[in-house]
Amino acid sequence: MSHKPLCIAHLYPDLLNLYADRGNIAVLRRRLEWRGYEVEVAHVTHSEIPDFSRYHLVLLGGGSDREQAIVAEKLRACAPAFRSAVEDGLPVLAICGGYQLLGEYYQLPSGEKVPGIGLVDMVTEAIPDAPRLIGNIAVWSDEIGVIVGFENHGGRTRHGHRPLGRVLHGHGNDGVSGHEGLRHLNIWGTYVHGPLLPKNPALADAVLRDALAYAHLPDHLEALDDRLEHEARAAFVSLRMNEVAPMLKEEAGSP
Amino acid sequence: MLGIWIGKLILWVLRLRGRDATSLPGKVALRISPGLIRRFGGQVKRVIAVTGTNGKTTTTSLLSGMVVEREPVVTNHKGANLAQGIATAFLRSCSWTGRLSADTAVLEIDEATLPAVASDLPIGVIVVTNVFRDQLDRYGELDGTLAKLLEGIRKTQATLVLNGDDPLCRYLGLRSSRKVMYYGMARDTARSPRREQMRDGQFCLMCGRPLRYDGFWYGQLGLYRCEECDFVRPHPGFQGELQGGFLRFSEEGLPDLLLDLPVSGLYNAYNVLAAASAARALGLTGEAIHGGLRAYRPPEGRMQRFELAAPVTLHLIKNPTGCDSVLDAVVTDGRSKVAVIGINDLAADGRDVSWLWDADFELLAEDQKLSYIVTTGYRAHDIALRMKYAGFPESRIRIEPELAAALQLGIDEGTAAGAVVHALVTYTLLHPAARWLSERRDEREPQAALYRTSVS
Repeated sequence: MSHKPLCIAHLYPDLLNLYADRGNIAVLRRRLEWRGYEVEVAHVTHSEIPDFSRYHLVLLGGGSDREQAIVAEKLRACAPAFRSAVEDGLPVLAICGGYQLLGEYYQLPSGEKVPGIGLVDMVTEAIPDAPRLIGNIAVWSDEIGVIVGFENHGGRTRHGHRPLGRVLHGHGNDGVSGHEGLRHLNIWGTYVHGPLLPKNPALADAVLRDALAYAHLPDHLEALDDRLEHEARAAFVSLRMNEVAPMLKEEAGSP
Repeated sequence: MLGIWIGKLILWVLRLRGRDATSLPGKVALRISPGLIRRFGGQVKRVIAVTGTNGKTTTTSLLSGMVVEREPVVTNHKGANLAQGIATAFLRSCSWTGRLSADTAVLEIDEATLPAVASDLPIGVIVVTNVFRDQLDRYGELDGTLAKLLEGIRKTQATLVLNGDDPLCRYLGLRSSRKVMYYGMARDTARSPRREQMRDGQFCLMCGRPLRYDGFWYGQLGLYRCEECDFVRPHPGFQGELQGGFLRFSEEGLPDLLLDLPVSGLYNAYNVLAAASAARALGLTGEAIHGGLRAYRPPEGRMQRFELAAPVTLHLIKNPTGCDSVLDAVVTDGRSKVAVIGINDLAADGRDVSWLWDADFELLAEDQKLSYIVTTGYRAHDIALRMKYAGFPESRIRIEPELAAALQLGIDEGTAAGAVVHALVTYTLLHPAARWLSERRDEREPQAALYRTSVS
C-alpha cells in the first residue's frame, strides 16, 4: 500500500509512562503494520512543543501526581491548538492520569487543585484517606463489547458525557456510579490499563478506525488472527473475574 | 512467650519434613503474640536494615556475611522481608525460652513494612539500595514508596547509607534530617544510554523541573543534576570502580580495597558496593569485608544453575529494571537457547502485570540464538501476547500454564535442539521452580552412578 503514514503522537512518554503505555503504542503500530499501513510514532518529550496539525491519533498515558502536574502545565500552554484539533475529530486515547488531565481539574488529597486542560466537562477529586481504587476491572461497552484490564487510581472522576462503558467488575470512574471512562467526540478516556490495548484488540481497532478516517486513509480494517488475544482475554477473565466469563462467550459468538 | 514457643514448634516440624520455613512460623507467632518483634528488638543491641527496590536480598546476604566474620548475627535470608519473615528470622536464632545469642541483626525489610517495624527495633543503620518502580499496586505509585521510606526512617535515629547515584535516594537523604553517607560508582565510568529505557524520577523532587543527566549506569542511576535548583548527585564518600572481575572500593583516608564480585552484572556490583559501604559505616575491617564476599553463595533465582539433560539457568524477574538486567544476561549467553517464562499475579508478584510491557522483551525477540519460548504461570497468556507483539513468531511460542509441565517442555525442547534453557520466573514461581529442578537433578545423579557401575 502506498499511502502516507498514519502518525501517532505519544505525548510526554518521559513523564507519563507509569503503566506501560509502550505496550499500547506497540499494539497500535503492529496492528496497522500487519495490515500494510505505514506508521510513524512521534514521541513528544517534555522539551518539545506538540504539533497537533501533524497527528492522526494522540495517546496520553498515566503518571504519578508530581509528573502529571508538569504535564498539565505543558498541555495548558498548547490547549487552544489541542482543543481545535479535537473538535475537528482528532482521536485521543487518554488513560488513567492522561484521562484525568482532560478535565477541569484534578484535586490532590491535600486539597490542592491541579488545573487540567478543560477539553471535556469533567472533574477528578482524590479524597483524603479514601482507599485507592485498585484491582482487575471489566467493563461492558455497547461499541466494543467487554474491555478488560487493571485499574489503579486515587482520584474519583465525574463528568457530563457518555461513559466508555458500564463496570462489570471493579470500580470505574468513582467506585459508585457504575460508569467507567468517557466518550466524547473522538476521545476515548479510561482508567483501564494493564496495558489497555493488548487484551482488547476490538478497542484497539476501533481507535485505529477513528484515526484512519481522520487521516483520510482507508478505514476498512481486515480481520487479523486474534486467537492468542482472545485466549488471553478468556484465560484472564476465568482466572480473576469469572462472573464476567458468560459475557465474553456471548461476544465470541457474535461476528 | 506462647507465640515464641508455637513459632519454634512450627519451625521444628517444618524442618523435620525437610522444609525450609521463611515466613509461616513468624506469621503464626505474630498472630498469637503481636508484640513479638518489639520483644526481640529489645534484646538485640543494634539492627542494620536493608531496604529499597532491587538488590535487597543480595545486599543483606553480603552484609550479614561480613558482620558474621566478627560476631554472630540474626538475619532473614531468602528475601522474606515482611513482618512475618523478620519474626521468623528471630525465631530461628532464639532458644526455646526466647533468648537470642546475637547482639546484632542484619535485616532485609520491605519498603512498606519499614514504618510498621521501625519503632520496634533499635535500627542504627539503614541501607537504601535504590528506589525503582516495583509492584505499583501494593504501594500505589512511586511517590507512595518514597513516603513510606521517609516515614520509616523518621521513626529511627539511624545513620543512612544511600545510593548517591539514585536521585530518589538522594531525595531521601535530603529530606530525612539524619546523618547520611552516600556510595556511588566512579564518575568517569558512567555511559550514554544505548536503548530507550524507562527511567523513574527524571524530575527534580525538590522543584519539579526536569533532571539532566551527564551519564548513566542503569535505570535512573547516573550523573544527574537539576536544571533549576541545586539538586545534584552528591560526591560519594564510598566509591566503586569496576576493574575486570573486581570492584575497586575507595574511601577517603583509607587504602583502596580490591573486592571480589561473587555475582556478575552491574547491578550486583552495586550490591557489593552497598554492602561494603555499610560495613565501613559499621567500622568493619577490610578483612571482614573480603571474608564476607568469599563466603557468599548466590541464593535461589540469582542465576542458579541446574545440570539436567539440557542445562537450566533459573532467574527471578519482578520489575522492569531487574527484568532488563536478566534479559541482558540471557541474550549475552551466546549459546543456542530455549526460554521458559513464568508469570504469576499473586500479591507477592504484583497483581498488575503491566510491567511486562515496560521490560525490554524485544531483546529476546531479536536474539537469533533463541529458538523457542514456553510460557507458564497464571498469566502465561499475557507473556505470550507480550512476546507476540515484541515480534517473536507466534508459532514458536507454547503456552503451558502448569509450571512442571512447562519446565519439562523447555528441557525436552532444549535437549532436542542441543540448546540451553533459561527459566525466568516471578517471585511465587521461584521456589516451586527451584524445587522441581533440584528434584530432577537429584533423580539424575543416582542414575548416573548406576550407569557408571554397570559399565565398569
